[in-house]
Amino acid sequence: MNSSRAYPIGGIVIAAAFLLLAPKILPAMKVHLATEVLIYALWAVSFNLLFGHGGLLPFGFGAPFGVGAYATALLFRYFAGIPLLPTLALVAMLGFATGITIGSLSVRLKGAYFALITFAFQMFLYAIALKWYNVTQGDDGFGVTRPSLYLPVWGNISMTNIADVYYFTLAIVFLAILATYFFQKTPLGNSIALVRENDVRPSFLGYNVYLIRLTVFSVACLLAALAGGLFVFFNEFVSTAVIDMNVSMIVLLMVIIGGSDHFLGPILGAAFYVLVQDWLSSLTSRWFLIMGAIFIVVVFYLEGGLISLIPSKRSQVGATPERG
Amino acid sequence: MGAFETFAVQAMHGLVYGMLIFMVASGLTLVLGMAGVLNIAHAALYMLGAYFAYSLTLYLGSFWLGLMISPLLVALVAIFIERFFLRKTYAKGHVPQILLTFGLLYVISEIVRMVWGTSPLRLFEPPILTGDIPFMGKTYPIYRLFIIGFSFLILIGMLLFLMRTRIGIIIRAAVHDADMVGALGINVPIYLFGVYAGGAMLAALAGVIAAPFLTIFSGMGDQILLDCFVVIIVGGFGSLLGAFMASVMVGQLQSFGVLWIPQLALVFEFLLMAVVLAVRPTGLFGEEA
Repeated sequence: MNSSRAYPIGGIVIAAAFLLLAPKILPAMKVHLATEVLIYALWAVSFNLLFGHGGLLPFGFGAPFGVGAYATALLFRYFAGIPLLPTLALVAMLGFATGITIGSLSVRLKGAYFALITFAFQMFLYAIALKWYNVTQGDDGFGVTRPSLYLPVWGNISMTNIADVYYFTLAIVFLAILATYFFQKTPLGNSIALVRENDVRPSFLGYNVYLIRLTVFSVACLLAALAGGLFVFFNEFVSTAVIDMNVSMIVLLMVIIGGSDHFLGPILGAAFYVLVQDWLSSLTSRWFLIMGAIFIVVVFYLEGGLISLIPSKRSQVGATPERG
Repeated sequence: MGAFETFAVQAMHGLVYGMLIFMVASGLTLVLGMAGVLNIAHAALYMLGAYFAYSLTLYLGSFWLGLMISPLLVALVAIFIERFFLRKTYAKGHVPQILLTFGLLYVISEIVRMVWGTSPLRLFEPPILTGDIPFMGKTYPIYRLFIIGFSFLILIGMLLFLMRTRIGIIIRAAVHDADMVGALGINVPIYLFGVYAGGAMLAALAGVIAAPFLTIFSGMGDQILLDCFVVIIVGGFGSLLGAFMASVMVGQLQSFGVLWIPQLALVFEFLLMAVVLAVRPTGLFGEEA
């Protein structure tokens, strides 16, 4: 084994060991943060499936996340004792349906126009969440009880312990991110990269550009809704904060900070965001000022994101593709 | 009070709000058409207009001075933003521009909160515009009539400028095809700069005249930003006529939505947007993308 391959494999082993042992070695507060990182990582990866891989900027990506969050919360509330895994499966399907609905009206457009339209749809859903007080309790939000997990061999696991919540989240997020990784390698997943580079040529080659975009958009929405569901499962609370303007900025910030050209960039960005926010909010209440400043700095000085600071062979191959 | 009178009053309310949206959206859509820049920080300029007018009125004792000076100050802020931030991103594409302008919106909103505090402020209308006049058996606030009159004056001025002057013709040509206009030897960036400052002044004017009846608060930019997005999508990107039509429609939808189903007033304008998108993805007056 030469040194250039030992480097990433060593990294994977260390990361896997850390993720598996985290609840054993970290204090409970930090396990909470780690769970949050995992959930945001899934969301950021699904965002980047469209953004980095597909060349589309879904500015309103809080929409599927919020739909997933509210659907989970409402299922938990109105169907007490509902099993956990089928709930998440249902929520993911709902996310897919949301993706088809929004996507069918928006994926014809590109660049700023696509961004604007997805954002307007998110604000539409935000308005419903805010105003339909009887169901959503608007700004105030409502709490839910985390259901227990039933597994065939282990039986019922109560999910009151943060370590159990962490391991469950880790398992779901790991499987979902792995699935995303392999989805990108399938012919369908590859064709979206083709469309990103040039959307006229593929249509002459017989690809249905609209259908490719719509499918990938819906898959990304499915993953985002799953992340939203996990978010409510973890927090046991939902309010309009899961679907307002800021959540779209948060996910964009995570992906941009981490670096959108690399599959692992958004995961790094999610970790960075959660940890820095945790640290900063203990120092200052002017969090938005700093977030805005981070945006400006990243645009001007750190176009490749944090992942571009890690020297590797891959990041030097080819120029950054222009999106638009 | 008859149904028709209620209808007329609501239609007037809708027109007031529609004209405000149009004043903000016009600058946004022209810059989008000319440079392809979706300047989210535009909403912050509207907000700054209102806050500047509040302080100017407080220190100078005159609403009218505030109305005149505040847009000029906001134009300076806009020029500063264009010169030192936006200009560097023209070559980089949409994503950095959206990120940057959103970052600026956050920063400006936070600075506003630091300077003026978080509680809502009230700018009082000048005495001459206070009170109500009889209107179809009911009364109607004079100040709202002033908004309608003032914004129509601005609209007519804008139309004359864009349709009848050489500069206006160049701007409209640049919205249509900036590269071709540049190839004809016209310095498009200078015109873009002018449109940017002019749009900022219009947004600030809207902020000032909105202040007495919508109150001044640090989230007022976010609210109008959303309406502007809908207006730009419905009207078509870069189309001033489309922006005007869509603004009036959104204003009416909001006004009558509040009257009929207050809970879902916001939902109507998004339904309008969804319908327009389904029928004509480029908006009512947009060119084919």
